[in-house]
Amino acid sequence: MSLNTALTGEKRIIRQVGGLYETRSFLGNLGFVEGSDVTVITELGGNLIVNVKGSRVALSKEIASHIIIS
Amino acid sequence: MSIRIALAGNPNSGKTTVFNALTGNSQYVGNWPGVTVEKKEGRLKGQKDVIITDLPGIYSLSPYTLEEVVTRNYLINEQPDAIIIIIDAGNLERNLFLTTQILELGIPAVLALNMMDIVNRRGDKIDTAKLSELFGCPVVELTATKELGVIAAAQKAIEIAGKPFKYAKRFEYSPQLELAAEQATAVINLAPHTIKSSQLDFFIYKFLERDYETEQYKALNQSQKDALESLSADLEKKLGKDIGSIIRNERYAYISQVVGLSYENINPDTFSLSDKIDRIVTNKFLALPIFAAVMFIVYYISVSSIGGFLTDFVNESVFGSESWSIPTLIGKGLESAGAAPWLQSLILDGIVGGLGAVLGFVPQIMVLFLMLSILEDCGYMARIAFILDRLFRRFGLSGKSFIPMLIGTGCGVPGIMASRTIENERDRRITIITTTFIPCSAKLPIIALISGAIFGGAAWVAPLAYFTGIAAIVCSGVILKKLKNFAGKPAPFVMELPTYHLPGARNVLTHTWERSWSFIKKAGTIIFLACAVFWFLSQFGFSSGGFGMVETEESLLAYIGRFIAPIFKPLGWGNWKTTVATVSGLIAKENVAGIFGVIYGSSSDTESLSDVWGLIRSDFTPFSALSFLIFNLLCIPCMAAVGAIAQEMKSLKWTLVAVGYQTGFAYIIALCVYQFGKLFTGGGANIGTVFAVLLFAAFAFMLLRPYRAKEEL
Repeated sequence: MSLNTALTGEKRIIRQVGGLYETRSFLGNLGFVEGSDVTVITELGGNLIVNVKGSRVALSKEIASHIIIS
Repeated sequence: MSIRIALAGNPNSGKTTVFNALTGNSQYVGNWPGVTVEKKEGRLKGQKDVIITDLPGIYSLSPYTLEEVVTRNYLINEQPDAIIIIIDAGNLERNLFLTTQILELGIPAVLALNMMDIVNRRGDKIDTAKLSELFGCPVVELTATKELGVIAAAQKAIEIAGKPFKYAKRFEYSPQLELAAEQATAVINLAPHTIKSSQLDFFIYKFLERDYETEQYKALNQSQKDALESLSADLEKKLGKDIGSIIRNERYAYISQVVGLSYENINPDTFSLSDKIDRIVTNKFLALPIFAAVMFIVYYISVSSIGGFLTDFVNESVFGSESWSIPTLIGKGLESAGAAPWLQSLILDGIVGGLGAVLGFVPQIMVLFLMLSILEDCGYMARIAFILDRLFRRFGLSGKSFIPMLIGTGCGVPGIMASRTIENERDRRITIITTTFIPCSAKLPIIALISGAIFGGAAWVAPLAYFTGIAAIVCSGVILKKLKNFAGKPAPFVMELPTYHLPGARNVLTHTWERSWSFIKKAGTIIFLACAVFWFLSQFGFSSGGFGMVETEESLLAYIGRFIAPIFKPLGWGNWKTTVATVSGLIAKENVAGIFGVIYGSSSDTESLSDVWGLIRSDFTPFSALSFLIFNLLCIPCMAAVGAIAQEMKSLKWTLVAVGYQTGFAYIIALCVYQFGKLFTGGGANIGTVFAVLLFAAFAFMLLRPYRAKEEL
């Protein structure tokens, strides 16, 4: 399941981060790594603000679709 | 010998605040978020032999972004005597990711846990003694905004500066990675190499990650390089993931263990106040209304109420006809000094008049910048990019494009400079090109003039001007994003959002001042020169008696105008006066209206403003007036803005593309407006009409032709 499917306020776990190499690296540096918790704070037209490792990150819908959660 | 201490850390960790507190702000700092690309140096307060270097904020020491490259090269090549790693303690885990990478560089380091006030307020506990033990370096608690602990951190750094330091891991990575690291060490030691033993860890993991962008890598021999590559490939095969992900995962897993031992989170699952604000402010239904209300307030205060009042004061009093105004005082001074009439004219009409027209907008712009700085400092500005991203995406722009346009309503120069925060090259270029389509404050006099002189002050003219600007941006975005040359590296919308906080007075004022000053400086220097040149051209020319002062009709300016005027004939206003006014807009858009006043006002049968307006009206039809207005709003901006475009594009070619596109776009739209207007009101058709139809068809095709976005992320 991708991060797009997560409900607001629900704590999920990141299983995989896909996409181009640089996108993956940037997301990884920001804390989007396997096994990390992630919580959607708000959703607006598919774009998300999420809490990952204690920081708030805004993601576009397309990027969120590359983050696989369980 | 002086001691060099570097400040490193994540963006938004408060590095700049620490730097200011340490150096007493002797250096000029404060910039747009994420654009401190250059390092900044200052001296420690009270200890002049200690040099503090503020490095750009980064998330890792990889070599991808400009900021990362600057920081990494400085740390590897210039080896400061000590590093203070600034950590946002409220965001410990993420900040420690960079920390472990920096520690591997073997430079003595102090961990400065900043923003402790937030941690304490939350009731969380950080065991600094434990952290210090686990990382083998001193840990200091800070609240930089209140200047607490800042000096203590610097003292600690001075104590350890220059002493040998080697970071030792306290936990093992997975057996596969540990084995690969051991093998890599063996490979490196096969031949003499340039890597210091204290930095070995750093280079081993960088080499395994296939990060080969260092001198140390280039110094290895080919068989070593091949061996390292096969180690990376083996590891990828064994673990079924790319090497970058493997090492990041392991590093974060390591940090989780450290955090588990040293950090006590009281309420891990509650939403913070900042999150609660976000749930309202970026809410599906409320986001746009709240945004519209905020924008209304910003413009109401800066343009209509306070800013408008101050600008009126400057225009009518400081540069007006009061007995104490600048022109009056300078005039009296020149007279009593016995200056020649031409010199008086140059200084009063040329320079003071021209500068006055520009400086009059400074109060309005300062208030606007103040409001925008407050929005930025409290954290809302970053949310605007988020809120508008989906909408702007459709026009080929990113949510971050809005901020340059917002600032561009005040002045295009800082607007264009604000485009720096957009990482995606294509988005940034399109933003730079389209930002000046929004009428800036200097274009307001043109709108006022056309509305007043031609349309009897009709209320629809000003909204039409803004609407034209917005439509031009939207159409250009749609057209340009389809062009191949604009296809840049796709950069996804990923942005860390700062926590909301009350804006700090010092920060806000620094930002406001910096932006206003760059406006004054840029406008001041260029316009100062231009005014003198234009004054000269409008006063001198060849007459029967040779070269000398002549009537405006005979001046060099009129000759130049007549020469260029045919270009604008198809637009309906090809006479020398309108041409000169338009060209003078290159120097400053305020000139356009000003030159009209000079040229039409200097004729002897004008007594009052309505006479001048009457003369202007006789040179225009309603449609040629609209065409004139639209051309002047959309075409190449003033020279100061073109300078800003060149500075941000960093390429002559792209600067010419930008300026050419703007002017071409303006020409086509103005041509269509005039020709179609003439046609539909029974003015008949000619060759210009044919061109208008053809160009309109081409424009419509570019706008509507199908396009499939090929965005791989």
